[in-house]
Amino acid sequence: MTAGLMFKRVFDWKIRGVRWVEIIGGLLVAVMVLSVYIAKAAAAREGSQISELESQIAENRQRVRLLNAEISRLEQPARLEALSRAAGLGPVAARRQATEGQLPALKSASEPAAPVYVAPVTVPADDVAKPAGEAL
Amino acid sequence: MSVQDHRAHYHRPAPGASASQGRPFGSTLSPWLRLFAGGVWWIEHAFERARADARPEEDTRVRIFLVMVVFSIVFSGLAIGAIHSALFADRGGAGRSANPNALERADLVDRNGALLATNIGYYSLYIHPAEVWDRRQAMADIRRAVPRLPANRLRTAMFGERRALVAQGLTPNERRAIHALALGGVEFEAEDLRAYPLGTSAQHLIGASDTGGVGTSGVELAFNDEIRAAGAAGRDFPISIDLRVQGVLENELAAAAMANGSKGAVGIVTNVMTGEVLGMASYPATTTKNQAVSAVYEMGSVFKTFTIAAAVDTGRADMNTMIDASEAFMVGKRAIKDFHATNRVLSLEEVYLHSSNIGTSRLAVGMGGATMRDYFTRFGLLAAAPIELKESARPIRPRDWSDSTLASLSFGYGISITPAQMSAAMGALTNGGRYIPLSLRRGGALNRGEGRRVVSEQTSQTMLELMRRNVVRGSGSHADAAGLRVGGKTGSANKLVNGRYDATHAVGTFAAVFPADGPVGTQRYSILILMDEPQTFPRTGGFVAAPAVGNIANRIAPFLGVQRRADAYSTALGDKVPSFQDVEGDGR
Repeated sequence: MTAGLMFKRVFDWKIRGVRWVEIIGGLLVAVMVLSVYIAKAAAAREGSQISELESQIAENRQRVRLLNAEISRLEQPARLEALSRAAGLGPVAARRQATEGQLPALKSASEPAAPVYVAPVTVPADDVAKPAGEAL
Repeated sequence: MSVQDHRAHYHRPAPGASASQGRPFGSTLSPWLRLFAGGVWWIEHAFERARADARPEEDTRVRIFLVMVVFSIVFSGLAIGAIHSALFADRGGAGRSANPNALERADLVDRNGALLATNIGYYSLYIHPAEVWDRRQAMADIRRAVPRLPANRLRTAMFGERRALVAQGLTPNERRAIHALALGGVEFEAEDLRAYPLGTSAQHLIGASDTGGVGTSGVELAFNDEIRAAGAAGRDFPISIDLRVQGVLENELAAAAMANGSKGAVGIVTNVMTGEVLGMASYPATTTKNQAVSAVYEMGSVFKTFTIAAAVDTGRADMNTMIDASEAFMVGKRAIKDFHATNRVLSLEEVYLHSSNIGTSRLAVGMGGATMRDYFTRFGLLAAAPIELKESARPIRPRDWSDSTLASLSFGYGISITPAQMSAAMGALTNGGRYIPLSLRRGGALNRGEGRRVVSEQTSQTMLELMRRNVVRGSGSHADAAGLRVGGKTGSANKLVNGRYDATHAVGTFAAVFPADGPVGTQRYSILILMDEPQTFPRTGGFVAAPAVGNIANRIAPFLGVQRRADAYSTALGDKVPSFQDVEGDGR
């Protein structure tokens, strides 16, 4: 039996008068339609979620922009200067400025004086018991 | 061609017709079209062929097969298209249409990223009158919800016939208030509007753009295309200014102008090495013009710096040159006198420090018109400042270059220039001698190169030294800032009022650079302060403008990384060194 004949027999094989090739083809079409439907439905669901998230992102982005603009408005140099002046603040004089390298020198200059040791004084027991307001 | 060939392939030339006429359709077209036409013919005549071959059933099979093939191809294409669009659709498409009126304009930021201008979402209110039930009631309700709405426009829209715009720029809260009224015929459209959150800060510099997102003035106009391109790419657009410097400049300028009652004032801070503008301010805030680039002034003695620089650069003078200022300098019948007459022979340094009109006039007349014109051209004093701003005005130049004009020019009369021109010229003088155009672009002007040579490096160093001495012991002493080695020159000029120079209408200027010491290539910054018509006496630049320069230098030095250091004249804390010793003996 040649391959051509075998192919023809398989091609002509019928189930209840319908070629099996056509049945399989129909089934494949049905599967394809169903899969496309499922894919479309899933994509639509995801698409709606994505668009919802994107609208949230856009809204948040707008809010961030608005807040940044608000920060910028509040930090207007003229406004900060007026607030600082009102609070009694002003530019620091050059003599009161120091660089990082000058810090050790400043520390030694402002170190507390050496402690002075004083001989203990004996206090009468009556004085100790008295409240401070009545010492004299 | 043979007799077996189909007759369609045979061409019978028509009598009298040219070779190209009468050919079947397709023969003059491409081989592919001929092949396609042949295929169609083969399919159309399959039935005839099958009958001729006595196999009519084959014809039916062939036709059914062909129909199946065509349908399969079509459906396969559709299926592939459906799957592709379902799985690989552009996911950004859904949210992108949130605001169809969004502006494609980048946020404007300073050199450190601080926000200067942005787009804010607003809403436009439209009324569709045919859908409003009770127009009077609706109008009253809307007015109550948002009182700031213009009544006339609302009435016109409400009682009109077509859908009409009532107002733009409604905030989300205002929209919500109107929306809550649940009125018919009220519609909103989202829109972007340009917002300037800094208010009046840097307003003249930043400029504005219209509702369509097109720049109309200032930086918004100058960089319009680039700002739009950056906006389309989702990037910010940085400019050269430093908002901290800008803030200090504006505050100190306003404080000084209010203290001396000036009608107007201008301040510019630049990096002289790159030409970048770090701050530019005009006072008062209510003025509509950026006076730093669009107003011209006769600036007076600041010009002596250029005259002396030209004399030093040409070799006509050096620090040891002595100039006779013992009596008025006669130019024709005109007598040039000094404001602070010394009535003696002055050294070049003394000419500069005493701001001697006689001394600079003698130098200018000695150099001649051609040389003076050449140097003024090199300093950019005879042409509009090459800054990106479209508002940059041209100077009022001298009509002639006679000796009398040269004398006037030498001390800053007879020529009116913009503060931006002065700032750029001072930059050229103090950066080693190269003219670098001012720029509002971060990093400086595009393709600026090394800049054109104006004066030699040696001249630049000499002038820096002279400017520093002028602050230490000359007319600019009020501009000194502890340890910042400020150098500069005062300028005081009377304004022309009804054709006469009027001493009560003066302009006081101080052009400074800091630090003035160090070798060529040291990072330096220039500060220019100009006071227009100060009301306090004396009205000279040394009193009305120089103190503001000192304050500004003090406050911006930490932002610019300029350390306080001692120099030959003062300590890092500003204490004067008792006497300057010319240890190098070079007179500088």
